[in-house]
Amino acid sequence: MPVPQQLGRGNRMGRGPYEKSGLVQDSSLPPLRTVTSSFEIFFPFEEKENEDGDTVRTFPSDSLDIAVKLTYMPYGTPDDDAFVWREEKRTVKITAGK
Amino acid sequence: MSRLPLKGLAPALAGTAVLVLAGVVSSAPAPKARTPVRPGKATSIAELSARYDSSSCVECHQEAHDQWARSVHSRSIFGTGRTAATFMTAIKNGLMDWPASGVKTPKDVKVEHLMACAKCHLPQLADSTDAVAQEIVTTIQEWQGAVEENDEARIEKAKKTLTSLNINCLVCHNRNAVIHKWTDGFPEKDTVYGAQDGEHADPKFPKMAQGKSLSESIFCGQCHGQGPNFEFPNPTQCATGYGSYLFAYIPEGGNKTCQECHMRDSGLGHDMQSYRSEVMAKKAVDMHVEAQGVFWRDNRELRPKATVRVELRNNTGHGLPDG
Repeated sequence: MPVPQQLGRGNRMGRGPYEKSGLVQDSSLPPLRTVTSSFEIFFPFEEKENEDGDTVRTFPSDSLDIAVKLTYMPYGTPDDDAFVWREEKRTVKITAGK
Repeated sequence: MSRLPLKGLAPALAGTAVLVLAGVVSSAPAPKARTPVRPGKATSIAELSARYDSSSCVECHQEAHDQWARSVHSRSIFGTGRTAATFMTAIKNGLMDWPASGVKTPKDVKVEHLMACAKCHLPQLADSTDAVAQEIVTTIQEWQGAVEENDEARIEKAKKTLTSLNINCLVCHNRNAVIHKWTDGFPEKDTVYGAQDGEHADPKFPKMAQGKSLSESIFCGQCHGQGPNFEFPNPTQCATGYGSYLFAYIPEGGNKTCQECHMRDSGLGHDMQSYRSEVMAKKAVDMHVEAQGVFWRDNRELRPKATVRVELRNNTGHGLPDG
Protein backbone atom coordinates (compact mmCIF):
# COMPACT_ATOMS: atom_id res chain seq x y z
CA MET A 1 0.00 0.00 0.00
CA PRO A 2 1.09 3.60 -0.30
CA VAL A 3 2.58 4.22 3.14
CA PRO A 4 1.56 7.75 4.09
CA GLN A 5 3.99 10.19 5.65
CA GLN A 6 2.98 11.72 8.96
CA LEU A 7 2.23 15.41 8.39
CA GLY A 8 4.55 15.46 5.40
CA ARG A 9 7.73 15.34 7.46
CA GLY A 10 10.30 12.77 8.57
CA ASN A 11 10.22 9.03 8.14
CA ARG A 12 7.18 8.18 10.26
CA MET A 13 4.01 6.67 8.89
CA GLY A 14 0.82 8.62 9.46
CA ARG A 15 -2.33 6.73 10.42
CA GLY A 16 -5.61 8.53 10.07
CA PRO A 17 -6.45 10.94 7.25
CA TYR A 18 -5.91 13.96 9.47
CA GLU A 19 -2.18 13.33 9.74
CA LYS A 20 -1.43 11.76 6.37
CA SER A 21 0.41 13.98 3.92
CA GLY A 22 2.78 12.55 1.32
CA LEU A 23 4.35 9.09 1.21
CA VAL A 24 7.36 7.50 2.91
CA GLN A 25 7.14 4.26 0.98
CA ASP A 26 4.93 2.48 -1.49
CA SER A 27 4.69 -1.25 -1.09
CA SER A 28 1.65 -1.62 -3.33
CA LEU A 29 1.71 -3.76 -6.43
CA PRO A 30 2.42 -1.34 -9.28
CA PRO A 31 -0.20 -1.27 -12.04
CA LEU A 32 0.33 -3.45 -15.09
CA ARG A 33 3.44 -5.03 -13.59
CA THR A 34 4.28 -8.47 -12.22
CA VAL A 35 5.93 -8.79 -8.85
CA THR A 36 7.65 -12.09 -7.99
CA SER A 37 8.38 -13.31 -4.48
CA SER A 38 10.12 -16.51 -3.39
CA PHE A 39 9.68 -18.32 -0.10
CA GLU A 40 11.71 -21.16 1.35
CA ILE A 41 10.08 -23.47 3.85
CA PHE A 42 12.05 -26.24 5.50
CA PHE A 43 10.24 -29.46 6.21
CA PRO A 44 9.52 -30.01 9.91
CA PHE A 45 11.85 -32.40 11.64
CA GLU A 46 12.32 -34.24 14.93
CA GLU A 47 15.56 -34.68 16.76
CA LYS A 48 16.37 -37.71 18.87
CA GLU A 49 19.32 -39.62 20.12
CA ASN A 50 20.30 -42.75 18.35
CA GLU A 51 21.85 -45.81 20.00
CA ASP A 52 25.29 -44.26 19.64
CA GLY A 53 24.22 -41.20 21.61
CA ASP A 54 24.29 -38.92 18.56
CA THR A 55 21.46 -36.54 17.87
CA VAL A 56 19.89 -37.23 14.53
CA ARG A 57 17.12 -35.60 12.63
CA THR A 58 14.22 -37.41 11.13
CA PHE A 59 11.51 -35.99 8.92
CA PRO A 60 8.04 -37.23 9.89
CA SER A 61 6.62 -36.66 6.46
CA ASP A 62 7.89 -36.60 2.92
CA SER A 63 5.24 -34.14 1.83
CA LEU A 64 4.36 -30.60 2.82
CA ASP A 65 0.99 -28.93 2.26
CA ILE A 66 1.42 -25.28 1.44
CA ALA A 67 -1.30 -22.63 1.36
CA VAL A 68 -0.51 -19.31 -0.29
CA LYS A 69 -2.91 -16.56 0.69
CA LEU A 70 -2.95 -13.08 -0.76
CA THR A 71 -4.42 -11.01 2.06
CA TYR A 72 -5.17 -7.33 2.34
CA MET A 73 -4.59 -6.19 5.90
CA PRO A 74 -5.82 -2.60 6.34
CA TYR A 75 -4.00 -2.28 9.65
CA GLY A 76 -1.03 -4.41 8.69
CA THR A 77 -2.12 -7.23 11.01
CA PRO A 78 -4.20 -10.34 10.36
CA ASP A 79 -7.14 -9.06 12.41
CA ASP A 80 -10.87 -9.00 11.73
CA ASP A 81 -10.42 -6.44 8.97
CA ALA A 82 -8.00 -8.62 7.02
CA PHE A 83 -9.47 -9.76 3.73
CA VAL A 84 -8.25 -12.78 1.77
CA TRP A 85 -8.17 -12.11 -1.95
CA ARG A 86 -6.71 -15.28 -3.25
CA GLU A 87 -5.75 -18.66 -1.88
CA GLU A 88 -3.94 -21.44 -3.63
CA LYS A 89 -2.73 -24.73 -2.26
CA ARG A 90 0.16 -26.88 -3.32
CA THR A 91 1.58 -30.11 -2.01
CA VAL A 92 5.32 -30.58 -2.27
CA LYS A 93 6.62 -34.13 -2.09
CA ILE A 94 10.20 -34.94 -1.47
CA THR A 95 11.72 -38.30 -2.17
CA ALA A 96 15.18 -39.41 -1.10
CA GLY A 97 17.50 -39.13 -4.06
CA LYS A 98 20.93 -40.51 -4.62
CA MET B 1 -16.12 14.07 -28.71
CA SER B 2 -14.11 10.87 -29.32
CA ARG B 3 -11.08 10.18 -27.16
CA LEU B 4 -7.87 11.41 -28.77
CA PRO B 5 -5.13 8.72 -28.81
CA LEU B 6 -2.71 10.89 -26.89
CA LYS B 7 -1.18 8.35 -24.60
CA GLY B 8 0.92 6.50 -27.16
CA LEU B 9 2.49 9.67 -28.57
CA ALA B 10 5.98 10.86 -27.65
CA PRO B 11 6.14 14.00 -25.48
CA ALA B 12 7.41 15.99 -28.49
CA LEU B 13 3.99 15.64 -30.08
CA ALA B 14 2.08 16.86 -27.03
CA GLY B 15 2.07 20.43 -28.34
CA THR B 16 0.39 19.29 -31.52
CA ALA B 17 -2.22 17.35 -29.56
CA VAL B 18 -2.99 20.42 -27.42
CA LEU B 19 -3.50 22.57 -30.53
CA VAL B 20 -5.90 20.02 -32.01
CA LEU B 21 -7.89 19.87 -28.79
CA ALA B 22 -8.10 23.67 -28.61
CA GLY B 23 -9.41 23.70 -32.19
CA VAL B 24 -12.20 21.28 -31.33
CA VAL B 25 -13.31 23.24 -28.25
CA SER B 26 -13.42 26.60 -30.02
CA SER B 27 -15.77 25.30 -32.69
CA ALA B 28 -18.51 24.56 -30.10
CA PRO B 29 -20.93 27.31 -29.00
CA ALA B 30 -19.44 29.17 -26.04
CA PRO B 31 -21.30 28.36 -22.79
CA LYS B 32 -22.83 31.31 -21.05
CA ALA B 33 -20.83 32.62 -18.13
CA ARG B 34 -23.06 31.89 -15.19
CA THR B 35 -22.98 32.98 -11.64
CA PRO B 36 -23.49 29.84 -9.55
CA VAL B 37 -26.95 29.90 -8.01
CA ARG B 38 -26.77 28.78 -4.40
CA PRO B 39 -29.81 28.66 -2.14
CA GLY B 40 -29.31 29.59 1.51
CA LYS B 41 -27.27 27.12 3.51
CA ALA B 42 -28.89 24.08 5.11
CA THR B 43 -29.28 24.38 8.87
CA SER B 44 -29.87 20.75 9.80
CA ILE B 45 -29.03 17.24 8.60
CA ALA B 46 -32.68 16.77 7.67
CA GLU B 47 -32.64 19.93 5.57
CA LEU B 48 -29.38 19.03 3.87
CA SER B 49 -30.64 15.52 3.19
CA ALA B 50 -33.89 16.93 1.76
CA ARG B 51 -31.99 19.34 -0.44
CA TYR B 52 -30.13 16.41 -1.93
CA ASP B 53 -33.10 14.09 -2.02
CA SER B 54 -32.65 11.80 -5.00
CA SER B 55 -35.81 9.77 -4.47
CA SER B 56 -37.44 11.23 -7.57
CA CYS B 57 -34.70 9.65 -9.66
CA VAL B 58 -35.68 6.15 -8.62
CA GLU B 59 -38.89 6.02 -10.64
CA CYS B 60 -37.00 5.95 -13.93
CA HIS B 61 -33.53 4.90 -12.77
CA GLN B 62 -34.41 2.02 -10.46
CA GLU B 63 -31.57 -0.22 -11.56
CA ALA B 64 -28.93 2.47 -11.16
CA HIS B 65 -30.39 3.36 -7.77
CA ASP B 66 -30.38 -0.24 -6.56
CA GLN B 67 -26.78 -0.67 -7.72
CA TRP B 68 -25.75 2.55 -5.98
CA ALA B 69 -27.49 1.47 -2.78
CA ARG B 70 -25.11 -1.49 -2.56
CA SER B 71 -22.01 0.72 -2.81
CA VAL B 72 -20.38 2.69 -0.02
CA HIS B 73 -21.22 5.90 -1.89
CA SER B 74 -24.69 5.35 -0.47
CA ARG B 75 -23.36 5.62 3.10
CA SER B 76 -20.32 7.82 2.69
CA ILE B 77 -20.36 9.28 6.20
CA PHE B 78 -21.16 6.04 8.02
CA GLY B 79 -19.40 3.52 5.76
CA THR B 80 -19.04 0.21 7.54
CA GLY B 81 -19.03 2.10 10.83
CA ARG B 82 -15.31 2.65 10.41
CA THR B 83 -15.83 5.88 8.47
CA ALA B 84 -17.99 7.45 11.16
CA ALA B 85 -15.50 6.37 13.80
CA THR B 86 -12.66 7.90 11.81
CA PHE B 87 -14.46 11.25 11.73
CA MET B 88 -14.32 11.25 15.53
CA THR B 89 -10.70 10.10 15.55
CA ALA B 90 -9.83 12.98 13.24
CA ILE B 91 -11.51 15.35 15.70
CA LYS B 92 -10.02 13.93 18.90
CA ASN B 93 -6.53 12.95 17.71
CA GLY B 94 -6.22 15.68 15.11
CA LEU B 95 -8.26 18.84 15.52
CA MET B 96 -8.28 18.84 19.31
CA ASP B 97 -4.54 18.18 19.36
CA TRP B 98 -3.59 21.01 17.01
CA PRO B 99 -3.06 24.28 18.86
CA ALA B 100 -4.15 26.52 15.97
CA SER B 101 -7.25 24.64 14.87
CA GLY B 102 -9.65 26.48 17.17
CA VAL B 103 -11.07 23.15 18.34
CA LYS B 104 -10.74 22.41 22.05
CA THR B 105 -13.77 20.13 22.31
CA PRO B 106 -16.04 18.47 19.72
CA LYS B 107 -18.48 21.33 20.34
CA ASP B 108 -16.06 23.70 18.58
CA VAL B 109 -16.16 21.75 15.31
CA LYS B 110 -17.43 23.72 12.35
CA VAL B 111 -17.95 23.02 8.65
CA GLU B 112 -14.42 24.21 7.87
CA HIS B 113 -13.01 21.57 10.21
CA LEU B 114 -15.05 18.74 8.74
CA MET B 115 -14.45 19.72 5.11
CA ALA B 116 -11.07 17.98 5.17
CA CYS B 117 -13.07 14.76 5.32
CA ALA B 118 -16.28 16.01 3.77
CA LYS B 119 -14.60 17.26 0.61
CA CYS B 120 -15.00 13.68 -0.54
CA HIS B 121 -17.28 12.01 1.98
CA LEU B 122 -19.96 14.72 1.86
CA PRO B 123 -19.09 17.60 -0.49
CA GLN B 124 -22.52 19.10 -0.03
CA LEU B 125 -21.56 19.93 3.57
CA ALA B 126 -20.05 23.06 2.05
CA ASP B 127 -23.66 24.17 1.47
CA SER B 128 -24.46 23.95 5.19
CA THR B 129 -24.17 26.06 8.31
CA ASP B 130 -21.97 25.05 11.21
CA ALA B 131 -25.10 23.69 12.91
CA VAL B 132 -25.03 20.76 10.48
CA ALA B 133 -21.38 20.07 11.27
CA GLN B 134 -22.28 20.00 14.95
CA GLU B 135 -25.24 17.74 14.34
CA ILE B 136 -23.05 15.29 12.45
CA VAL B 137 -20.55 15.25 15.31
CA THR B 138 -23.20 14.74 18.00
CA THR B 139 -24.93 12.05 15.96
CA ILE B 140 -21.69 10.11 15.54
CA GLN B 141 -21.08 10.47 19.28
CA GLU B 142 -24.59 9.24 19.95
CA TRP B 143 -23.99 6.26 17.67
CA GLN B 144 -20.73 5.40 19.39
CA GLY B 145 -22.34 5.69 22.80
CA ALA B 146 -25.20 3.47 21.68
CA VAL B 147 -22.75 0.85 20.40
CA GLU B 148 -20.92 0.84 23.74
CA GLU B 149 -24.20 0.36 25.57
CA ASN B 150 -25.45 -2.14 23.00
CA ASP B 151 -28.66 -0.16 22.57
CA GLU B 152 -29.97 -1.41 19.23
CA ALA B 153 -32.76 1.12 18.90
CA ARG B 154 -30.41 4.08 19.41
CA ILE B 155 -27.81 2.48 17.13
CA GLU B 156 -30.31 2.18 14.30
CA LYS B 157 -31.67 5.69 14.81
CA ALA B 158 -28.22 7.27 14.69
CA LYS B 159 -27.19 5.09 11.78
CA LYS B 160 -30.33 6.09 9.86
CA THR B 161 -29.53 9.76 10.37
CA LEU B 162 -25.93 9.36 9.29
CA THR B 163 -26.76 7.25 6.25
CA SER B 164 -29.24 9.87 5.05
CA LEU B 165 -26.13 11.83 4.08
CA ASN B 166 -24.32 10.32 1.15
CA ILE B 167 -22.87 10.67 -2.33
CA ASN B 168 -26.10 10.25 -4.24
CA CYS B 169 -27.41 11.00 -7.71
CA LEU B 170 -27.50 14.76 -7.19
CA VAL B 171 -23.91 14.97 -6.01
CA CYS B 172 -22.41 13.30 -9.09
CA HIS B 173 -25.06 14.25 -11.64
CA ASN B 174 -25.58 17.82 -10.52
CA ARG B 175 -23.47 19.43 -7.81
CA ASN B 176 -20.12 17.92 -8.79
CA ALA B 177 -20.97 17.12 -12.41
CA VAL B 178 -18.96 19.92 -13.99
CA ILE B 179 -15.26 20.08 -13.33
CA HIS B 180 -14.12 22.82 -15.73
CA LYS B 181 -16.70 25.42 -14.86
CA TRP B 182 -15.18 28.29 -16.80
CA THR B 183 -15.11 26.08 -19.89
CA ASP B 184 -18.46 24.33 -19.55
CA GLY B 185 -20.45 26.62 -17.26
CA PHE B 186 -21.47 26.13 -13.64
CA PRO B 187 -23.97 23.36 -12.81
CA GLU B 188 -27.54 24.59 -13.20
CA LYS B 189 -29.87 23.76 -10.34
CA ASP B 190 -32.63 22.52 -12.69
CA THR B 191 -30.38 20.25 -14.75
CA VAL B 192 -29.11 16.71 -14.36
CA TYR B 193 -25.88 15.93 -16.13
CA GLY B 194 -25.38 12.66 -17.92
CA ALA B 195 -24.91 11.26 -21.36
CA GLN B 196 -26.91 13.69 -23.45
CA ASP B 197 -28.69 17.02 -23.78
CA GLY B 198 -32.44 17.37 -23.84
CA GLU B 199 -35.59 17.38 -21.79
CA HIS B 200 -35.75 15.37 -18.59
CA ALA B 201 -38.94 13.90 -17.15
CA ASP B 202 -38.59 15.21 -13.60
CA PRO B 203 -40.35 18.43 -12.56
CA LYS B 204 -37.47 19.27 -10.20
CA PHE B 205 -34.90 18.74 -12.94
CA PRO B 206 -36.63 19.39 -16.25
CA LYS B 207 -33.41 19.57 -18.24
CA MET B 208 -30.59 17.21 -18.89
CA ALA B 209 -27.20 18.13 -20.24
CA GLN B 210 -24.14 16.21 -21.28
CA GLY B 211 -21.64 15.97 -18.46
CA LYS B 212 -18.43 16.07 -20.40
CA SER B 213 -16.27 14.66 -17.61
CA LEU B 214 -18.69 12.11 -16.21
CA SER B 215 -17.23 9.18 -18.11
CA GLU B 216 -13.64 10.31 -17.65
CA SER B 217 -11.27 9.28 -14.88
CA ILE B 218 -10.79 12.91 -13.85
CA PHE B 219 -14.39 12.81 -12.60
CA CYS B 220 -13.56 10.11 -10.06
CA GLY B 221 -10.26 11.88 -9.39
CA GLN B 222 -12.18 14.72 -7.71
CA CYS B 223 -12.33 12.53 -4.64
CA HIS B 224 -10.19 9.47 -5.27
CA GLY B 225 -7.33 11.91 -5.23
CA GLN B 226 -3.71 12.56 -5.75
CA GLY B 227 -2.37 12.99 -2.25
CA PRO B 228 -2.48 15.94 0.15
CA ASN B 229 -5.37 18.36 -0.31
CA PHE B 230 -3.37 21.56 -0.19
CA GLU B 231 -6.39 23.84 -0.28
CA PHE B 232 -7.02 23.15 3.43
CA PRO B 233 -5.24 24.95 6.28
CA ASN B 234 -4.11 21.48 7.45
CA PRO B 235 -3.89 19.32 4.33
CA THR B 236 -5.29 15.83 4.72
CA GLN B 237 -4.85 12.86 2.50
CA CYS B 238 -7.06 9.84 2.22
CA ALA B 239 -6.98 8.86 -1.39
CA THR B 240 -4.07 8.58 -3.78
CA GLY B 241 -5.70 6.31 -6.37
CA TYR B 242 -6.09 8.94 -9.07
CA GLY B 243 -2.50 10.00 -8.58
CA SER B 244 -1.41 6.38 -9.00
CA TYR B 245 -3.60 6.21 -12.11
CA LEU B 246 -2.01 9.31 -13.62
CA PHE B 247 1.62 8.73 -12.66
CA ALA B 248 1.98 4.93 -12.63
CA TYR B 249 -0.80 3.36 -14.71
CA ILE B 250 -0.81 5.77 -17.65
CA PRO B 251 3.02 5.81 -17.99
CA GLU B 252 2.93 2.02 -18.01
CA GLY B 253 0.72 2.21 -21.10
CA GLY B 254 -2.68 1.90 -19.43
CA ASN B 255 -5.59 3.49 -21.27
CA LYS B 256 -8.77 2.52 -19.49
CA THR B 257 -10.86 4.86 -17.39
CA CYS B 258 -12.00 4.21 -13.84
CA GLN B 259 -15.54 3.92 -15.14
CA GLU B 260 -14.62 1.30 -17.72
CA CYS B 261 -13.23 -1.06 -15.09
CA HIS B 262 -15.38 -0.26 -12.06
CA MET B 263 -18.72 0.19 -13.82
CA ARG B 264 -18.80 -1.28 -17.31
CA ASP B 265 -16.35 -4.20 -17.48
CA SER B 266 -17.25 -5.34 -13.99
CA GLY B 267 -20.94 -5.37 -14.87
CA LEU B 268 -21.55 -3.67 -11.54
CA GLY B 269 -22.75 -0.33 -12.94
CA HIS B 270 -23.31 2.17 -10.15
CA ASP B 271 -22.31 -0.40 -7.57
CA MET B 272 -18.68 0.69 -7.69
CA GLN B 273 -16.70 -1.73 -5.58
CA SER B 274 -13.15 -2.39 -4.53
CA TYR B 275 -11.30 -5.09 -2.63
CA ARG B 276 -14.30 -6.63 -0.91
CA SER B 277 -15.96 -7.50 -4.19
CA GLU B 278 -15.24 -10.95 -5.58
CA VAL B 279 -15.80 -9.59 -9.08
CA MET B 280 -13.25 -6.81 -8.67
CA ALA B 281 -10.76 -8.97 -6.77
CA LYS B 282 -10.79 -11.56 -9.53
CA LYS B 283 -10.17 -8.90 -12.19
CA ALA B 284 -7.59 -7.06 -10.15
CA VAL B 285 -4.86 -9.62 -9.64
CA ASP B 286 -3.49 -12.64 -11.42
CA MET B 287 -1.70 -14.94 -9.02
CA HIS B 288 0.53 -17.76 -10.20
CA VAL B 289 2.13 -20.16 -7.73
CA GLU B 290 4.83 -22.72 -8.33
CA ALA B 291 6.29 -24.93 -5.65
CA GLN B 292 8.97 -27.58 -5.68
CA GLY B 293 10.92 -29.57 -3.15
CA VAL B 294 14.70 -29.85 -2.97
CA PHE B 295 17.19 -31.31 -0.54
CA TRP B 296 19.32 -28.50 0.78
CA ARG B 297 22.65 -29.36 2.32
CA ASP B 298 23.87 -27.42 5.33
CA ASN B 299 27.31 -28.10 6.79
CA ARG B 300 26.39 -31.54 8.08
CA GLU B 301 23.32 -33.00 6.44
CA LEU B 302 20.64 -32.85 3.82
CA ARG B 303 17.41 -31.07 4.74
CA PRO B 304 14.32 -31.09 2.59
CA LYS B 305 12.72 -27.79 1.86
CA ALA B 306 9.99 -26.37 -0.34
CA THR B 307 10.67 -23.41 -2.57
CA VAL B 308 7.54 -21.44 -3.39
CA ARG B 309 7.53 -18.84 -6.14
CA VAL B 310 4.58 -16.45 -6.27
CA GLU B 311 3.93 -14.12 -9.19
CA LEU B 312 1.39 -11.35 -8.74
CA ARG B 313 0.31 -9.21 -11.65
CA ASN B 314 -1.71 -6.08 -10.94
CA ASN B 315 -4.25 -5.62 -13.71
CA THR B 316 -5.86 -2.52 -12.24
CA GLY B 317 -5.48 1.12 -13.12
CA HIS B 318 -3.65 2.02 -9.92
CA GLY B 319 -1.39 0.59 -7.27
CA LEU B 320 -2.85 -2.25 -5.26
CA PRO B 321 -3.98 -1.62 -2.65
CA ASP B 322 -4.89 2.01 -3.24
CA GLY B 323 -8.10 3.89 -3.69
